[in-house]
Amino acid sequence: MAQASGRSRRLRAPKFTMAIPGIVWYVLFYAVPVAFIVLYSFGSKPEVGGKGLVSLSDLSFKNYSAVWDSTFRQVFWNTMLIAGFGTLICALIGLPVAYFVAVKAGPKLRAALLLLIIVPFWMSFFVRTSAWRIIFAPNGWLSDFLIDIGLRSTKIGVLDSKPAVFLAVVYNYLPLMIFPIFVSLDRIEPALREASKDLGAGRLKTFFSVTLPLAGPGISAGMLLTFIPLAGDFVTATVLGGAKGNMIGRVISSFVIESQNLPKGSAAAMLLILLILLMIAAAVVVSAAVRWWLKANRRVDLPGVPS
Amino acid sequence: MTVAIPSVKRTRDGAKFALGLWTWLVVLFLMIPIFFVVLHSFNGGNSFNIWKEWGGGRWYKRIIDDKPFRDTLINSFKAAFGSTVISLIIGALAGVAVSRRRGKWTGPFLGILFLILVTPEIIDAVALLGWFNQVPGVKNIFQNGLLGIRGGMLSLWVGHSLFSSAVVTLIVRARLEGLDESLEEAAADLGAPPGRAFRQITLPLMSPALVAGGMLSLSFSLDNTIMSSFIAGDSSTYPVYLLGTVKSTPRPSIAAGAVVLFLTTLIAAAITISTLKRSGQSSSEIASNLAAG
Repeated sequence: MAQASGRSRRLRAPKFTMAIPGIVWYVLFYAVPVAFIVLYSFGSKPEVGGKGLVSLSDLSFKNYSAVWDSTFRQVFWNTMLIAGFGTLICALIGLPVAYFVAVKAGPKLRAALLLLIIVPFWMSFFVRTSAWRIIFAPNGWLSDFLIDIGLRSTKIGVLDSKPAVFLAVVYNYLPLMIFPIFVSLDRIEPALREASKDLGAGRLKTFFSVTLPLAGPGISAGMLLTFIPLAGDFVTATVLGGAKGNMIGRVISSFVIESQNLPKGSAAAMLLILLILLMIAAAVVVSAAVRWWLKANRRVDLPGVPS
Repeated sequence: MTVAIPSVKRTRDGAKFALGLWTWLVVLFLMIPIFFVVLHSFNGGNSFNIWKEWGGGRWYKRIIDDKPFRDTLINSFKAAFGSTVISLIIGALAGVAVSRRRGKWTGPFLGILFLILVTPEIIDAVALLGWFNQVPGVKNIFQNGLLGIRGGMLSLWVGHSLFSSAVVTLIVRARLEGLDESLEEAAADLGAPPGRAFRQITLPLMSPALVAGGMLSLSFSLDNTIMSSFIAGDSSTYPVYLLGTVKSTPRPSIAAGAVVLFLTTLIAAAITISTLKRSGQSSSEIASNLAAG
Protein backbone atom coordinates (compact mmCIF):
# COMPACT_ATOMS: atom_id res chain seq x y z
CA MET A 1 0.00 0.00 0.00
CA ALA A 2 1.05 3.53 -0.66
CA GLN A 3 0.22 4.82 2.80
CA ALA A 4 2.73 2.76 4.73
CA SER A 5 2.73 5.26 7.57
CA GLY A 6 3.45 2.57 10.16
CA ARG A 7 1.09 2.24 13.10
CA SER A 8 -0.06 5.84 13.22
CA ARG A 9 -3.85 6.04 12.98
CA ARG A 10 -4.11 9.35 11.17
CA LEU A 11 -3.35 9.11 7.49
CA ARG A 12 -0.64 11.49 6.45
CA ALA A 13 -0.93 10.68 2.78
CA PRO A 14 -3.14 12.99 0.70
CA LYS A 15 -6.68 11.82 0.10
CA PHE A 16 -6.10 11.05 -3.55
CA THR A 17 -3.16 8.70 -2.88
CA MET A 18 -5.07 5.59 -3.95
CA ALA A 19 -6.20 7.29 -7.14
CA ILE A 20 -2.61 8.05 -8.17
CA PRO A 21 -2.22 5.01 -10.47
CA GLY A 22 -5.43 6.07 -12.21
CA ILE A 23 -4.43 9.73 -12.41
CA VAL A 24 -1.01 8.86 -13.86
CA TRP A 25 -2.56 6.43 -16.35
CA TYR A 26 -5.19 8.90 -17.57
CA VAL A 27 -2.83 11.87 -17.83
CA LEU A 28 -0.16 9.84 -19.61
CA PHE A 29 -2.40 7.81 -21.93
CA TYR A 30 -5.55 9.89 -22.28
CA ALA A 31 -5.35 13.62 -21.53
CA VAL A 32 -1.94 14.36 -23.06
CA PRO A 33 -2.26 12.10 -26.15
CA VAL A 34 -5.76 13.40 -26.93
CA ALA A 35 -4.61 17.00 -26.49
CA PHE A 36 -1.81 16.25 -28.94
CA ILE A 37 -4.32 15.32 -31.69
CA VAL A 38 -5.33 18.98 -31.75
CA LEU A 39 -1.70 19.92 -32.36
CA TYR A 40 -1.15 17.13 -34.92
CA SER A 41 -4.16 18.31 -36.90
CA PHE A 42 -2.30 21.56 -37.67
CA GLY A 43 0.99 19.80 -38.51
CA SER A 44 2.10 18.15 -41.72
CA LYS A 45 3.28 14.75 -42.86
CA PRO A 46 7.09 14.66 -42.64
CA GLU A 47 9.14 14.43 -45.82
CA VAL A 48 10.35 10.97 -46.81
CA GLY A 49 13.05 9.94 -44.35
CA GLY A 50 11.88 12.46 -41.79
CA LYS A 51 11.48 11.57 -38.13
CA GLY A 52 8.18 10.55 -36.51
CA LEU A 53 4.71 10.66 -38.01
CA VAL A 54 4.08 14.39 -37.79
CA SER A 55 6.20 17.41 -38.54
CA LEU A 56 5.21 20.36 -36.37
CA SER A 57 7.60 22.87 -37.93
CA ASP A 58 4.96 24.66 -39.95
CA LEU A 59 1.47 24.77 -38.48
CA SER A 60 -1.54 25.59 -40.65
CA PHE A 61 -5.19 24.86 -41.39
CA LYS A 62 -4.33 23.12 -44.64
CA ASN A 63 -5.26 19.62 -43.35
CA TYR A 64 -8.77 20.83 -42.62
CA SER A 65 -9.23 22.34 -46.07
CA ALA A 66 -7.74 19.20 -47.67
CA VAL A 67 -10.02 16.89 -45.68
CA TRP A 68 -13.22 18.90 -46.20
CA ASP A 69 -13.86 17.96 -49.83
CA SER A 70 -17.11 16.82 -51.45
CA THR A 71 -16.47 13.13 -50.68
CA PHE A 72 -15.87 13.94 -47.01
CA ARG A 73 -18.98 16.13 -46.83
CA GLN A 74 -20.95 13.16 -48.19
CA VAL A 75 -19.46 10.86 -45.52
CA PHE A 76 -20.01 13.49 -42.83
CA TRP A 77 -23.70 13.65 -43.74
CA ASN A 78 -23.91 9.85 -43.93
CA THR A 79 -22.38 9.57 -40.42
CA MET A 80 -24.93 12.02 -38.99
CA LEU A 81 -27.72 10.10 -40.68
CA ILE A 82 -26.63 6.62 -39.58
CA ALA A 83 -25.71 7.64 -36.02
CA GLY A 84 -28.78 9.86 -35.58
CA PHE A 85 -31.41 7.52 -36.99
CA GLY A 86 -29.63 4.46 -35.57
CA THR A 87 -29.90 5.98 -32.09
CA LEU A 88 -33.58 6.84 -32.56
CA ILE A 89 -34.47 3.36 -33.86
CA CYS A 90 -32.61 1.77 -30.93
CA ALA A 91 -34.55 3.99 -28.50
CA LEU A 92 -37.90 3.10 -30.07
CA ILE A 93 -37.15 -0.63 -30.04
CA GLY A 94 -35.35 -0.62 -26.69
CA LEU A 95 -37.71 1.44 -24.54
CA PRO A 96 -40.60 -1.11 -24.52
CA VAL A 97 -38.09 -3.89 -23.79
CA ALA A 98 -36.53 -1.99 -20.88
CA TYR A 99 -40.03 -1.15 -19.60
CA PHE A 100 -41.20 -4.76 -19.71
CA VAL A 101 -38.04 -6.07 -18.01
CA ALA A 102 -38.00 -3.40 -15.29
CA VAL A 103 -41.71 -2.99 -14.57
CA LYS A 104 -43.74 -5.97 -15.77
CA ALA A 105 -41.43 -8.98 -15.41
CA GLY A 106 -41.08 -10.86 -12.11
CA PRO A 107 -37.60 -11.18 -10.51
CA LYS A 108 -36.78 -14.58 -12.07
CA LEU A 109 -37.91 -13.62 -15.57
CA ARG A 110 -36.13 -10.29 -15.27
CA ALA A 111 -32.77 -11.90 -14.48
CA ALA A 112 -33.26 -14.42 -17.30
CA LEU A 113 -34.14 -11.71 -19.84
CA LEU A 114 -31.20 -9.48 -18.84
CA LEU A 115 -28.85 -12.45 -19.32
CA LEU A 116 -30.44 -13.37 -22.66
CA ILE A 117 -29.89 -9.81 -23.84
CA ILE A 118 -26.20 -9.78 -22.82
CA VAL A 119 -25.14 -13.29 -23.85
CA PRO A 120 -25.12 -12.63 -27.63
CA PHE A 121 -22.61 -9.86 -26.97
CA TRP A 122 -20.05 -12.30 -25.73
CA MET A 123 -19.60 -13.59 -29.25
CA SER A 124 -17.38 -11.69 -31.66
CA PHE A 125 -19.56 -8.89 -33.04
CA PHE A 126 -18.02 -9.17 -36.48
CA VAL A 127 -18.81 -12.86 -36.88
CA ARG A 128 -22.30 -12.73 -35.39
CA THR A 129 -23.19 -9.68 -37.48
CA SER A 130 -21.83 -11.40 -40.60
CA ALA A 131 -24.22 -14.24 -39.82
CA TRP A 132 -27.09 -12.05 -41.09
CA ARG A 133 -25.45 -12.50 -44.49
CA ILE A 134 -26.23 -16.22 -44.21
CA ILE A 135 -29.88 -15.44 -43.52
CA PHE A 136 -30.37 -12.71 -46.12
CA ALA A 137 -28.18 -14.20 -48.86
CA PRO A 138 -29.86 -13.69 -52.27
CA ASN A 139 -29.41 -17.41 -52.97
CA GLY A 140 -29.99 -18.49 -49.39
CA TRP A 141 -32.73 -20.66 -47.93
CA LEU A 142 -34.84 -17.73 -46.71
CA SER A 143 -34.89 -16.20 -50.19
CA ASP A 144 -35.82 -19.57 -51.78
CA PHE A 145 -38.45 -20.18 -49.11
CA LEU A 146 -40.14 -16.79 -49.62
CA ILE A 147 -40.23 -17.35 -53.37
CA ASP A 148 -41.58 -20.90 -52.92
CA ILE A 149 -44.49 -19.82 -50.75
CA GLY A 150 -45.22 -16.96 -53.11
CA LEU A 151 -44.43 -14.05 -50.78
CA ARG A 152 -41.74 -12.75 -53.11
CA SER A 153 -41.19 -13.12 -56.80
CA THR A 154 -37.54 -12.01 -56.76
CA LYS A 155 -34.49 -12.83 -54.65
CA ILE A 156 -33.90 -10.91 -51.42
CA GLY A 157 -31.71 -7.85 -52.04
CA VAL A 158 -31.42 -6.46 -48.52
CA LEU A 159 -27.64 -6.79 -48.22
CA ASP A 160 -25.38 -3.83 -49.02
CA SER A 161 -28.26 -1.39 -48.75
CA LYS A 162 -29.32 1.31 -46.27
CA PRO A 163 -31.75 -1.04 -44.44
CA ALA A 164 -28.86 -3.50 -43.98
CA VAL A 165 -26.80 -0.68 -42.41
CA PHE A 166 -29.54 -0.08 -39.84
CA LEU A 167 -30.04 -3.81 -39.26
CA ALA A 168 -26.36 -4.12 -38.27
CA VAL A 169 -26.45 -0.94 -36.19
CA VAL A 170 -29.58 -1.90 -34.24
CA TYR A 171 -28.34 -5.44 -33.79
CA ASN A 172 -25.11 -4.22 -32.18
CA TYR A 173 -26.18 -1.12 -30.25
CA LEU A 174 -29.56 -2.15 -28.82
CA PRO A 175 -28.24 -3.34 -25.42
CA LEU A 176 -26.33 -0.07 -24.94
CA MET A 177 -29.73 1.59 -25.12
CA ILE A 178 -31.71 -0.99 -23.12
CA PHE A 179 -29.50 -1.16 -20.01
CA PRO A 180 -29.37 2.52 -18.96
CA ILE A 181 -33.13 2.84 -19.53
CA PHE A 182 -33.71 -0.38 -17.58
CA VAL A 183 -31.66 0.95 -14.64
CA SER A 184 -33.55 4.25 -14.51
CA LEU A 185 -36.97 2.55 -14.78
CA ASP A 186 -35.95 0.05 -12.12
CA ARG A 187 -35.22 2.90 -9.68
CA ILE A 188 -38.72 4.39 -9.92
CA GLU A 189 -40.75 3.43 -6.84
CA PRO A 190 -43.84 1.43 -7.88
CA ALA A 191 -45.73 3.56 -5.31
CA LEU A 192 -45.49 6.55 -7.67
CA ARG A 193 -47.35 4.68 -10.40
CA GLU A 194 -49.87 3.51 -7.80
CA ALA A 195 -50.42 7.07 -6.62
CA SER A 196 -50.95 8.24 -10.17
CA LYS A 197 -53.54 5.53 -10.67
CA ASP A 198 -55.28 6.27 -7.38
CA LEU A 199 -55.53 9.92 -8.39
CA GLY A 200 -57.44 8.83 -11.47
CA ALA A 201 -54.84 8.79 -14.23
CA GLY A 202 -55.24 6.08 -16.84
CA ARG A 203 -52.34 3.80 -17.80
CA LEU A 204 -51.22 5.86 -20.76
CA LYS A 205 -51.41 9.07 -18.76
CA THR A 206 -49.42 7.48 -15.93
CA PHE A 207 -46.80 6.31 -18.41
CA PHE A 208 -46.43 9.65 -20.18
CA SER A 209 -46.80 11.93 -17.13
CA VAL A 210 -45.03 9.94 -14.41
CA THR A 211 -42.88 7.08 -15.68
CA LEU A 212 -41.42 8.59 -18.83
CA PRO A 213 -40.31 11.92 -17.24
CA LEU A 214 -38.69 10.01 -14.35
CA ALA A 215 -36.89 7.74 -16.83
CA GLY A 216 -35.70 10.81 -18.75
CA PRO A 217 -32.11 10.77 -17.46
CA GLY A 218 -31.80 7.06 -18.29
CA ILE A 219 -33.12 7.61 -21.80
CA SER A 220 -30.69 10.49 -22.33
CA ALA A 221 -27.83 8.34 -21.00
CA GLY A 222 -28.83 5.48 -23.29
CA MET A 223 -28.97 7.77 -26.31
CA LEU A 224 -25.60 9.29 -25.46
CA LEU A 225 -24.01 5.86 -24.89
CA THR A 226 -25.39 4.66 -28.21
CA PHE A 227 -24.81 7.76 -30.31
CA ILE A 228 -21.20 8.55 -29.38
CA PRO A 229 -19.60 5.14 -30.01
CA LEU A 230 -21.79 4.70 -33.07
CA ALA A 231 -20.64 8.01 -34.57
CA GLY A 232 -17.02 6.85 -34.30
CA ASP A 233 -17.65 3.27 -35.45
CA PHE A 234 -16.49 2.37 -38.92
CA VAL A 235 -16.89 -1.40 -38.95
CA THR A 236 -20.45 -2.24 -37.84
CA ALA A 237 -22.32 -0.39 -40.58
CA THR A 238 -20.13 -1.85 -43.34
CA VAL A 239 -20.40 -5.51 -42.28
CA LEU A 240 -23.86 -5.75 -43.83
CA GLY A 241 -24.22 -2.39 -45.57
CA GLY A 242 -20.98 -2.41 -47.58
CA ALA A 243 -20.16 0.99 -49.07
CA LYS A 244 -23.57 2.32 -47.97
CA GLY A 245 -22.25 2.17 -44.41
CA ASN A 246 -19.23 4.43 -44.97
CA MET A 247 -18.67 6.66 -41.98
CA ILE A 248 -16.09 9.22 -40.82
CA GLY A 249 -14.22 6.55 -38.88
CA ARG A 250 -13.42 4.79 -42.16
CA VAL A 251 -11.93 8.03 -43.53
CA ILE A 252 -9.85 8.57 -40.38
CA SER A 253 -8.65 4.98 -40.53
CA SER A 254 -7.70 5.21 -44.22
CA PHE A 255 -5.78 8.48 -43.65
CA VAL A 256 -3.91 7.14 -40.62
CA ILE A 257 -3.37 3.47 -41.48
CA GLU A 258 -3.38 3.27 -45.28
CA SER A 259 -1.87 6.63 -46.29
CA GLN A 260 0.17 6.95 -43.06
CA ASN A 261 -0.96 10.57 -42.80
CA LEU A 262 -1.54 11.19 -39.10
CA PRO A 263 -2.01 14.99 -39.43
CA LYS A 264 -4.83 14.56 -41.95
CA GLY A 265 -6.36 11.80 -39.82
CA SER A 266 -6.18 14.05 -36.77
CA ALA A 267 -8.00 16.82 -38.64
CA ALA A 268 -10.72 14.35 -39.63
CA ALA A 269 -10.88 13.18 -35.99
CA MET A 270 -11.41 16.79 -34.86
CA LEU A 271 -14.24 17.09 -37.36
CA LEU A 272 -15.79 13.92 -35.90
CA ILE A 273 -15.69 15.50 -32.42
CA LEU A 274 -17.30 18.62 -33.89
CA LEU A 275 -20.06 16.51 -35.46
CA ILE A 276 -20.78 14.77 -32.15
CA LEU A 277 -20.91 18.04 -30.22
CA LEU A 278 -23.20 19.60 -32.86
CA MET A 279 -25.61 16.67 -32.72
CA ILE A 280 -25.67 16.63 -28.91
CA ALA A 281 -26.26 20.40 -28.83
CA ALA A 282 -29.14 19.99 -31.29
CA ALA A 283 -30.64 17.19 -29.16
CA VAL A 284 -30.35 19.30 -25.99
CA VAL A 285 -32.08 22.27 -27.68
CA VAL A 286 -34.89 20.10 -29.02
CA SER A 287 -35.52 18.35 -25.69
CA ALA A 288 -35.45 21.68 -23.83
CA ALA A 289 -38.04 23.06 -26.26
CA VAL A 290 -40.27 20.00 -25.80
CA ARG A 291 -40.01 20.30 -22.01
CA TRP A 292 -40.87 23.98 -22.12
CA TRP A 293 -43.88 23.29 -24.32
CA LEU A 294 -45.13 20.48 -22.06
CA LYS A 295 -44.72 22.64 -18.99
CA ALA A 296 -46.65 25.49 -20.57
CA ASN A 297 -49.48 23.17 -21.65
CA ARG A 298 -49.78 21.05 -18.55
CA ARG A 299 -49.85 23.81 -16.00
CA VAL A 300 -52.35 23.14 -13.25
CA ASP A 301 -53.82 26.21 -11.61
CA LEU A 302 -54.69 25.48 -8.02
CA PRO A 303 -57.37 27.75 -6.64
CA GLY A 304 -56.09 29.89 -3.79
CA VAL A 305 -52.41 29.16 -4.53
CA PRO A 306 -50.58 32.10 -6.10
CA SER A 307 -48.66 30.97 -9.15
CA MET B 1 -35.74 -4.25 -4.41
CA THR B 2 -39.07 -4.21 -6.19
CA VAL B 3 -42.01 -4.92 -3.94
CA ALA B 4 -44.81 -6.81 -5.61
CA ILE B 5 -47.99 -4.82 -5.41
CA PRO B 6 -51.08 -7.02 -5.79
CA SER B 7 -53.28 -4.41 -7.45
CA VAL B 8 -50.82 -4.11 -10.37
CA LYS B 9 -51.53 -7.73 -11.26
CA ARG B 10 -54.50 -8.31 -13.49
CA THR B 11 -55.80 -11.52 -14.83
CA ARG B 12 -56.00 -10.37 -18.43
CA ASP B 13 -53.50 -7.70 -19.35
CA GLY B 14 -53.27 -6.90 -23.05
CA ALA B 15 -50.52 -4.29 -22.66
CA LYS B 16 -48.36 -6.63 -20.62
CA PHE B 17 -48.85 -9.37 -23.17
CA ALA B 18 -47.89 -7.07 -26.05
CA LEU B 19 -44.80 -5.77 -24.23
CA GLY B 20 -43.77 -9.32 -23.33
CA LEU B 21 -44.20 -10.48 -26.91
CA TRP B 22 -42.12 -7.54 -28.16
CA THR B 23 -39.37 -8.31 -25.62
CA TRP B 24 -39.20 -11.98 -26.61
CA LEU B 25 -39.10 -11.02 -30.30
CA VAL B 26 -36.11 -8.74 -29.57
CA VAL B 27 -34.38 -11.57 -27.65
CA LEU B 28 -35.03 -13.88 -30.61
CA PHE B 29 -33.62 -11.23 -32.97
CA LEU B 30 -30.44 -11.05 -30.86
CA MET B 31 -30.11 -14.85 -30.64
CA ILE B 32 -30.77 -16.00 -34.22
CA PRO B 33 -27.31 -15.13 -35.58
CA ILE B 34 -25.61 -16.93 -32.67
CA PHE B 35 -27.35 -20.13 -33.76
CA PHE B 36 -26.11 -19.68 -37.34
CA VAL B 37 -22.53 -18.95 -36.26
CA VAL B 38 -22.41 -22.16 -34.21
CA LEU B 39 -24.02 -24.16 -37.03
CA HIS B 40 -21.70 -22.79 -39.73
CA SER B 41 -18.59 -23.45 -37.64
CA PHE B 42 -19.31 -27.11 -38.58
CA ASN B 43 -19.82 -26.31 -42.26
CA GLY B 44 -18.32 -28.83 -44.69
CA GLY B 45 -17.99 -26.21 -47.43
CA ASN B 46 -15.30 -23.57 -47.75
CA SER B 47 -17.47 -20.51 -47.23
CA PHE B 48 -18.85 -19.13 -43.97
CA ASN B 49 -21.89 -17.68 -45.75
CA ILE B 50 -23.11 -20.78 -47.63
CA TRP B 51 -23.99 -24.04 -45.90
CA LYS B 52 -22.88 -27.09 -47.85
CA GLU B 53 -22.84 -30.16 -45.64
CA TRP B 54 -21.88 -31.32 -42.16
CA GLY B 55 -18.11 -31.00 -41.95
CA GLY B 56 -17.44 -32.03 -38.36
CA GLY B 57 -14.69 -30.29 -36.44
CA ARG B 58 -12.30 -29.60 -39.33
CA TRP B 59 -12.40 -25.81 -38.80
CA TYR B 60 -11.70 -26.28 -35.11
CA LYS B 61 -8.73 -28.45 -36.00
CA ARG B 62 -7.52 -25.50 -38.07
CA ILE B 63 -7.07 -23.53 -34.83
CA ILE B 64 -4.57 -26.16 -33.68
CA ASP B 65 -2.80 -26.56 -37.04
CA ASP B 66 -2.65 -23.01 -38.39
CA LYS B 67 -0.15 -21.10 -36.24
CA PRO B 68 -0.73 -17.52 -37.47
CA PHE B 69 -4.49 -18.03 -37.03
CA ARG B 70 -4.02 -19.53 -33.58
CA ASP B 71 -1.67 -16.71 -32.57
CA THR B 72 -4.39 -14.10 -33.15
CA LEU B 73 -6.63 -16.00 -30.71
CA ILE B 74 -3.80 -16.30 -28.18
CA ASN B 75 -3.04 -12.58 -28.53
CA SER B 76 -6.70 -11.82 -27.87
CA PHE B 77 -6.55 -13.78 -24.63
CA LYS B 78 -3.26 -12.15 -23.60
CA ALA B 79 -4.58 -8.67 -24.33
CA ALA B 80 -7.82 -9.38 -22.44
CA PHE B 81 -5.99 -10.83 -19.44
CA GLY B 82 -3.40 -8.04 -19.16
CA SER B 83 -5.83 -5.18 -19.67
CA THR B 84 -8.26 -6.71 -17.15
CA VAL B 85 -5.55 -6.99 -14.48
CA ILE B 86 -4.54 -3.35 -15.06
CA SER B 87 -8.17 -2.20 -15.04
CA LEU B 88 -8.88 -4.02 -11.78
CA ILE B 89 -5.83 -2.58 -10.00
CA ILE B 90 -6.49 0.99 -11.16
CA GLY B 91 -10.25 0.70 -10.73
CA ALA B 92 -10.18 -0.89 -7.25
CA LEU B 93 -7.82 1.74 -5.84
CA ALA B 94 -9.47 4.70 -7.56
CA GLY B 95 -12.96 3.42 -6.67
CA VAL B 96 -12.05 3.30 -2.96
CA ALA B 97 -10.43 6.75 -3.16
CA VAL B 98 -13.44 8.28 -4.90
CA SER B 99 -15.99 6.92 -2.43
CA ARG B 100 -14.00 6.90 0.83
CA ARG B 101 -11.45 9.76 0.50
CA ARG B 102 -13.56 12.45 -1.09
CA GLY B 103 -12.06 15.90 -1.45
CA LYS B 104 -11.50 18.70 -3.89
CA TRP B 105 -9.81 16.28 -6.25
CA THR B 106 -12.89 14.04 -6.69
CA GLY B 107 -14.82 16.35 -9.03
CA PRO B 108 -12.08 16.79 -11.65
CA PHE B 109 -11.21 13.08 -11.43
CA LEU B 110 -14.81 12.00 -12.06
CA GLY B 111 -14.84 14.56 -14.88
CA ILE B 112 -11.91 12.79 -16.58
CA LEU B 113 -13.66 9.42 -16.11
CA PHE B 114 -16.79 10.83 -17.75
CA LEU B 115 -14.76 12.19 -20.67
CA ILE B 116 -13.06 8.79 -21.13
CA LEU B 117 -16.45 7.08 -21.20
CA VAL B 118 -17.84 9.44 -23.86
CA THR B 119 -14.76 9.73 -26.07
CA PRO B 120 -15.28 7.66 -29.24
CA GLU B 121 -12.80 4.82 -29.37
CA ILE B 122 -11.35 5.98 -32.67
CA ILE B 123 -10.25 9.28 -31.08
CA ASP B 124 -8.31 7.39 -28.38
CA ALA B 125 -6.94 5.14 -31.10
CA VAL B 126 -5.56 8.03 -33.17
CA ALA B 127 -4.26 9.73 -30.01
CA LEU B 128 -2.42 6.63 -28.77
CA LEU B 129 -1.04 5.75 -32.20
CA GLY B 130 0.44 9.24 -32.43
CA TRP B 131 1.72 9.09 -28.87
CA PHE B 132 3.31 5.64 -29.22
CA ASN B 133 5.03 6.57 -32.48
CA GLN B 134 5.94 10.22 -32.05
CA VAL B 135 7.32 10.64 -28.54
CA PRO B 136 10.96 9.44 -28.27
CA GLY B 137 11.07 7.52 -24.93
CA VAL B 138 7.52 6.21 -25.23
CA LYS B 139 8.13 5.13 -28.81
CA ASN B 140 10.95 2.81 -27.83
CA ILE B 141 8.84 0.92 -25.27
CA PHE B 142 5.66 0.60 -27.32
CA GLN B 143 7.46 -0.40 -30.53
CA ASN B 144 10.18 -2.70 -29.27
CA GLY B 145 8.53 -4.04 -26.14
CA LEU B 146 9.68 -4.26 -22.56
CA LEU B 147 10.81 -7.21 -20.41
CA GLY B 148 10.02 -9.71 -23.16
CA ILE B 149 6.51 -8.41 -23.79
CA ARG B 150 5.94 -7.19 -27.32
CA GLY B 151 5.34 -3.53 -28.04
CA GLY B 152 1.98 -4.19 -29.69
CA MET B 153 0.78 -6.17 -26.67
CA LEU B 154 1.81 -3.35 -24.30
CA SER B 155 -0.08 -0.90 -26.53
CA LEU B 156 -3.18 -3.11 -26.35
CA TRP B 157 -2.94 -3.35 -22.56
CA VAL B 158 -2.83 0.43 -22.31
CA GLY B 159 -5.51 1.04 -24.93
CA HIS B 160 -8.00 -1.54 -23.69
CA SER B 161 -7.53 -0.62 -20.03
CA LEU B 162 -8.43 3.07 -20.52
CA PHE B 163 -12.16 2.51 -20.94
CA SER B 164 -12.35 -0.62 -18.74
CA SER B 165 -10.54 0.89 -15.74
CA ALA B 166 -12.93 3.86 -15.81
CA VAL B 167 -15.88 1.44 -15.81
CA VAL B 168 -14.39 -0.64 -12.96
CA THR B 169 -13.81 2.55 -10.92
CA LEU B 170 -17.47 3.52 -11.28
CA ILE B 171 -18.74 0.02 -10.42
CA VAL B 172 -16.53 -0.13 -7.29
CA ARG B 173 -17.71 3.35 -6.32
CA ALA B 174 -21.36 2.35 -6.75
CA ARG B 175 -20.82 -0.74 -4.60
CA LEU B 176 -18.98 1.07 -1.78
CA GLU B 177 -21.44 3.97 -1.68
CA GLY B 178 -24.20 1.46 -1.06
CA LEU B 179 -22.30 0.12 1.97
CA ASP B 180 -21.94 1.56 5.44
CA GLU B 181 -18.49 2.89 6.25
CA SER B 182 -18.76 1.76 9.88
CA LEU B 183 -17.01 -1.58 9.34
CA GLU B 184 -13.89 0.10 7.98
CA GLU B 185 -14.00 2.72 10.74
CA ALA B 186 -14.33 0.00 13.36
CA ALA B 187 -11.25 -1.73 11.97
CA ALA B 188 -9.29 1.52 12.22
CA ASP B 189 -10.55 2.18 15.76
CA LEU B 190 -9.48 -1.31 16.80
CA GLY B 191 -5.98 -0.46 15.65
CA ALA B 192 -5.74 -2.10 12.24
CA PRO B 193 -3.15 -0.33 10.08
CA PRO B 194 -4.67 1.09 6.86
CA GLY B 195 -3.13 -1.59 4.65
CA ARG B 196 -4.57 -4.39 6.76
CA ALA B 197 -8.01 -2.75 7.03
CA PHE B 198 -8.01 -2.47 3.24
CA ARG B 199 -7.05 -6.11 2.70
CA GLN B 200 -9.33 -7.64 5.31
CA ILE B 201 -12.38 -5.36 5.24
CA THR B 202 -12.63 -3.14 2.16
CA LEU B 203 -11.36 -5.65 -0.41
CA PRO B 204 -13.85 -8.43 0.52
CA LEU B 205 -16.67 -5.86 0.63
CA MET B 206 -15.99 -4.71 -2.90
CA SER B 207 -15.13 -8.10 -4.39
CA PRO B 208 -18.51 -8.50 -6.17
CA ALA B 209 -17.86 -5.19 -7.93
CA LEU B 210 -14.39 -6.38 -8.96
CA VAL B 211 -15.72 -9.68 -10.27
CA ALA B 212 -18.40 -7.90 -12.33
CA GLY B 213 -15.95 -5.23 -13.51
CA GLY B 214 -13.40 -7.87 -14.47
CA MET B 215 -16.02 -9.70 -16.50
CA LEU B 216 -16.97 -6.52 -18.37
CA SER B 217 -13.37 -5.63 -19.02
CA LEU B 218 -12.61 -9.14 -20.32
CA SER B 219 -15.50 -9.15 -22.78
CA PHE B 220 -14.78 -5.57 -23.88
CA SER B 221 -11.16 -6.43 -24.67
CA LEU B 222 -11.90 -9.73 -26.45
CA ASP B 223 -14.18 -7.94 -28.92
CA ASN B 224 -12.29 -4.69 -29.30
CA THR B 225 -11.79 -3.96 -32.99
CA ILE B 226 -11.43 -0.24 -33.69
CA MET B 227 -8.73 0.60 -31.14
CA SER B 228 -6.85 -2.65 -31.82
CA SER B 229 -6.81 -2.13 -35.59
CA PHE B 230 -4.80 1.06 -34.95
CA ILE B 231 -2.38 0.04 -32.21
CA ALA B 232 -2.02 -3.79 -32.22
CA GLY B 233 1.16 -3.56 -34.32
CA ASP B 234 3.10 -6.83 -34.01
CA SER B 235 0.39 -8.43 -31.83
CA SER B 236 -2.61 -8.77 -34.13
CA THR B 237 -5.71 -9.95 -32.24
CA TYR B 238 -8.65 -12.01 -33.47
CA PRO B 239 -10.94 -9.04 -34.24
CA VAL B 240 -8.13 -7.39 -36.22
CA TYR B 241 -7.63 -10.62 -38.15
CA LEU B 242 -11.39 -10.72 -38.86
CA LEU B 243 -11.31 -7.16 -40.17
CA GLY B 244 -8.67 -8.31 -42.66
CA THR B 245 -10.92 -11.10 -43.98
CA VAL B 246 -13.51 -8.61 -45.29
CA LYS B 247 -11.94 -8.40 -48.72
CA SER B 248 -11.98 -12.16 -49.36
CA THR B 249 -14.62 -14.87 -48.97
CA PRO B 250 -14.86 -15.58 -45.24
CA ARG B 251 -14.09 -19.19 -44.30
CA PRO B 252 -16.04 -21.14 -41.67
CA SER B 253 -12.89 -20.96 -39.53
CA ILE B 254 -13.89 -17.42 -38.50
CA ALA B 255 -16.95 -19.00 -36.88
CA ALA B 256 -14.88 -21.68 -35.14
CA GLY B 257 -12.60 -19.03 -33.59
CA ALA B 258 -15.61 -16.97 -32.52
CA VAL B 259 -17.21 -20.01 -30.88
CA VAL B 260 -14.00 -20.72 -28.93
CA LEU B 261 -13.88 -17.12 -27.63
CA PHE B 262 -17.62 -17.24 -26.90
CA LEU B 263 -17.33 -20.42 -24.83
CA THR B 264 -14.40 -18.97 -22.89
CA THR B 265 -16.45 -15.88 -22.03
CA LEU B 266 -19.44 -18.05 -21.07
CA ILE B 267 -17.27 -20.08 -18.70
CA ALA B 268 -15.87 -16.88 -17.18
CA ALA B 269 -19.43 -15.60 -16.80
CA ALA B 270 -20.59 -18.83 -15.13
CA ILE B 271 -17.74 -18.52 -12.62
CA THR B 272 -18.65 -14.85 -12.08
CA ILE B 273 -22.30 -15.62 -11.48
CA SER B 274 -21.60 -18.41 -9.00
CA THR B 275 -19.11 -16.18 -7.12
CA LEU B 276 -21.65 -13.37 -6.91
CA LYS B 277 -24.39 -15.79 -5.80
CA ARG B 278 -22.17 -16.98 -2.96
CA SER B 279 -21.61 -13.37 -1.89
CA GLY B 280 -25.37 -13.07 -1.52
CA GLN B 281 -26.47 -11.02 -4.50
CA SER B 282 -29.85 -11.68 -6.05
CA SER B 283 -29.97 -12.88 -9.63
CA SER B 284 -31.37 -9.52 -10.78
CA GLU B 285 -28.52 -7.63 -9.18
CA ILE B 286 -26.02 -9.99 -10.81
CA ALA B 287 -27.55 -9.52 -14.22
CA SER B 288 -27.50 -5.73 -13.96
CA ASN B 289 -23.95 -5.86 -12.59
CA LEU B 290 -22.80 -7.90 -15.57
CA ALA B 291 -24.55 -5.57 -17.94
CA ALA B 292 -23.81 -2.06 -16.85
CA GLY B 293 -22.74 -1.98 -13.25
